[in-house]
Parts: sequence; structure tokens; C-alpha cells
Amino acid sequence: MKSSLRDRLKKFTPFLWLSPFLLVFAVFLAYPMVYSFLISLRKVTWQTDLNAVFSDMRWVGFANYRELLTRADFWWSLIATFLYMLLTIPTGIFLSLVLATLLTENLPGSRFFRSAIFLPNILDMLVIGLVWKLIYSPDGLLDKVLMKAGIEYFHTKGFLGNPLTALAAVALAMVLKGCGFGMVLFMTAMKNISPNIFEAADLDGMTWWQKFRYIRVPLVKPVILFLTITGILGCLNAFTEFFIMTEGNPVMLFAGETVGATRVSGYLLFTRFTEMNYGSAAALSYFLLIFALIVSYINWRFLRDKSV
Amino acid sequence: MKELKKSLKLWWEKYSIKLRRLLLWLVLAALAMFALLPLFWMFITAFKKEGLGLQTEIIPKGSLSELYTLSNFTAILADKDFPFFRFLLNSTIVAGSAAIVSSAICFMSAYAFARKNFPGKEFIYGLLMASMMVPGMIFMVPQFALITQFGWMNSWQGLVIPHTANVFGIFLLRQAIERIPKSLFEAAEVDGASDWQIMFLVIVPLSSPVLLTLFLLTFLGQWSNFLWQLIVNTPDSPWITLPVGISLFKGQYSIAWEKMMAASVISVLPVLLLFIFLQRYIISGLTQGGVKE
Repeated sequence: MKSSLRDRLKKFTPFLWLSPFLLVFAVFLAYPMVYSFLISLRKVTWQTDLNAVFSDMRWVGFANYRELLTRADFWWSLIATFLYMLLTIPTGIFLSLVLATLLTENLPGSRFFRSAIFLPNILDMLVIGLVWKLIYSPDGLLDKVLMKAGIEYFHTKGFLGNPLTALAAVALAMVLKGCGFGMVLFMTAMKNISPNIFEAADLDGMTWWQKFRYIRVPLVKPVILFLTITGILGCLNAFTEFFIMTEGNPVMLFAGETVGATRVSGYLLFTRFTEMNYGSAAALSYFLLIFALIVSYINWRFLRDKSV
Repeated sequence: MKELKKSLKLWWEKYSIKLRRLLLWLVLAALAMFALLPLFWMFITAFKKEGLGLQTEIIPKGSLSELYTLSNFTAILADKDFPFFRFLLNSTIVAGSAAIVSSAICFMSAYAFARKNFPGKEFIYGLLMASMMVPGMIFMVPQFALITQFGWMNSWQGLVIPHTANVFGIFLLRQAIERIPKSLFEAAEVDGASDWQIMFLVIVPLSSPVLLTLFLLTFLGQWSNFLWQLIVNTPDSPWITLPVGISLFKGQYSIAWEKMMAASVISVLPVLLLFIFLQRYIISGLTQGGVKE
């Protein structure tokens, strides 16, 4: 009898190995998912004790969610996030794919180029954003180059001060920072392509573009899917690049209200957070979660359909 | 005319492949130049004289000292309001200890997932993997709430502990442990090796590249985990890290570009060195999530 109890306990001893990880995971990742929802149903009011904010918030039900849905800045943040995805993800994937193709041509210096293009990927986002702010500023490097070419449009406001160009300018900086990651993924995937296919293609007289379009692109589809998913998650999380480059500005009119042209949802969440509007920030994060779940569901369906 | 056409054709046949390669090389070099432009511009500006941060000249008309100086670095490292040397130390401690703690707890869990059987194993594993799809922004408010209630504001624990449960690390290490031949484990068990002995005498030597990869990735991730370090630290915190220090500095001296770039160089240099010497490990780890062989 005694030994069987011991055996049964023994089954659970592997949990000892898991326990440190699971403890941190439970406290700082699993529980916060629930806790965030509870916060989203409450609000900090003028009566709240500022020394114990989170235990003294007032219950408001779904008012935070309703408030968000009526605000122009919320809707604009979703649109801006979506535009940011459109500006970064397809261009990033295309550029990575072109770079990977060029690097598999055995050109001289390929190893150096690979490292050089990958490097910005791991550099501190804040610092890279700061340098781009300098490059983009009025009288900065890019403006001076364009002035020499006779283009004066950007001289007064710079690239980040103009609501029409600000989001695209941030996107360009981030595409250049991130494309090395996609590039090495594509290179790894391309190594698995049999060279026979290209020999056959050469015999058929296919051009470089035809080989690119009809052989490489279909064979690296899983990488494209992966980059799309991680790109979408990255855009939902986008914050630091906007914090350092634009602070959500410049302002513009949208649906009769002034909104920050680059105030994407991640930045709006931070704004609500700094205003101590924690309930609204948590509610916003739940909208983001729903969006991410839909994306991963589509992804899962897509992968499942293909494997059947 | 016919002669010319013929010789042109011959020339083309001889050189078209080389020309095409030259063209492709030029495209590649141009793209690499654009990717490195911010890094290059950061270094150039960091050595510019005070007030010349917006100058786009690279080669001065007269002597080098008309345009360039080292004083930005000495000024930054001696600044009492913004002790960048302290920020550098903080960043190193935060990123380094996060990487050690995270690698250790991921290693223990990955060992259990790879080598042990227990109820609910694959279910728990699937749940952990699924959590990678949750955008990190969601955790900001509740994690901040927890930190304030634990009294962990402005502290090492607050900066490090919440980010040590790295699911991707378990994924990476479980795969590495499962690649080790089963016979090695069986031999060790026959010899009566304990779990700790197996971990340190069998797994660590055989999967050290993966462990190094995980350490580096966590280190780099925490080195630039700006948002969290910003909200856990108040401006008078003793734990202000480099990115937070730079952003506070920018808030105060928004036009001192030369000094901001000098601070940026200090922040980028350690990462640059890690990359130059260990890029193989960094790239292999980052690509493992994306490509299945």
C-alpha cells in the first residue's frame, strides 16, 4: 500500500524540474491574462488611494470597452496599426527575399554583406530609432540630400513632422532594421531547394525573374507565412520606435477629432497607461488579444489545411 | 556597321554573365549600405564637435579637429545628472542576470519535457507554446500592477524576474536535448548517474552551443527591453538602464545630437562586440523558430 502511494507521487516528481519556470510563468504571464481582464472592468477615479492604486479602483463593468469604441483616437489607432502592418510586412518580406536570392548567387563579399545586413536586427530599437530621428529631421542627412536634388517639400517639417509621411518614414526605418532576419530565414529555406530544379529551369531558358517568381517564392511559402504572423504580432506590440521617433505625433484631424498620426494601438495603450487610465489600457490590450487570436486561428487553419 | 554589330554581339556573349553579376553585386552593396547607414551615422555624429550634430559634412575642409572631437564621450561619462557609466553597469547586470536565470530555469524545464514522463506533459507544453501568440503589450498593465503590489518598483527583481519565463527557450533546449542519442542517457543511467549529473556531464557539454545561443538571445532581448525598464524605473531610480537613460537625456537636451549619439555608441558597442565574435550562435537561434528542416 505504502509503495503504491510512493509510486503515484513519483509520477509527479518531474514537476520539481518544471516548478521554477512554471512559478514565474503562472505569476507573471498566466495570471496577468486574467488580472488584466479584471483591471479592464475597473477605473481609477479621483477617490482612488494613490498609494494603492490597483487595489482601490472602482468597478465600472464594460464602460472602458464602450468608451474606447466611441473614441476617434481608438479607431484611428487601429487604422494606423493596420497601415503600419501594410507598410512594413509586405515590403519587409519582399526585401528579405530579394536579399536572400542575391546572397545565394555566390557574389564576392557575400558573407560580409550577410552579417552587415543582419546586424541592425539585434541592435537596440531605441538607439536605432534615435539615429533615424536625426537622419529624418529638417536639415538632417536625408533632407540635405533631397535639397541638393531640388526637392524642398520636406524641408520645413522634416519627414516625421508631416502626417502624410511620418508613418511611412518609421516603417522604412524598421524595414531596414528588420529585413536581415527574414533574409537569413529565407537563406536557410533556400538551401533546402535542390539545385536540380534550377538546372532544369536553366535548360528551359527561364529568366532570373521567372526563377524567382515560380521556383523560389512557392518553395519558401512557410517562411513567408511565419514572417507575416511575427510581423503582425510585432506591429501590435510596436511602441519603442514611435516613442523615440514621433511620440505618436504629428496631430491630424480624423472623424472630427484631433488624433496623433502615428499613435498606433501599442502607443495609445502606453498613453492611457501614463494618464493612469489603467482600466482603459487593459481594455485596449484585450482588443489586441482578440485580434492576435483571430490571426493565429487563421494561421492554424492555413497550416492544417495544407498538411491534410 | 555589320562588323560592329558582330563584335558587339561577341563582346556581349563574353561579358554578359560578368556584367549581370556586377549589377547584382551593386544592388546588394547598395542595400547593405542602407542597412548600415544608421550605425555609420551614429558613429560619425558621436565624434562631431559641440553644436555640429546636424552637420552632414564627413570630410572637413581643413584639419580633422575642425569637425571631430572626443569630448562628447568624456563629457557623457563624467556627467553627474546622467551617469552613463552607471547606466551601462545597470544594463549589463540586468541583461546578464536575466540571461543566467532564464537559461537555468528553461534548461531544467526542457530537461523534464525531453527526458521525463508525467501526467499532462504534452498538454502543458502545448499551452506554453500557444502563449507565444499573445502580444506582449497585454502583460504591461497587469505586470506593472503586480510589481507595485510586490514593492518591486526601482528594483533588480522588478526589472529581471517577470521576463525570465521564456517559452522559446524551452522550445530551443527541448529540441537540443532530444537530438542527443538515447544510448548516452541509458549508459549514464546504468552507471547510476543522478539527474544533476546527467544534466551537467551529458547534456551541458553536448548542447553548449544551444545554451550559449539562448543566453545571448535573452541578453540581447533584455538589453533593449526599453518599455518595461521605462515603467519599472522612476527617474530617481538607482536601476536606470542605458535605453532609459538615453531617453531621459533626450527629454532634457533634445538638440544635443552629438552627445546623444555618443551615449548611443556606448549602448551599441557591447552588442556589436557580441555580434562580431558570436554571430553564428545568435543567427542560428533566431532562425530555429522559423524554419523547419
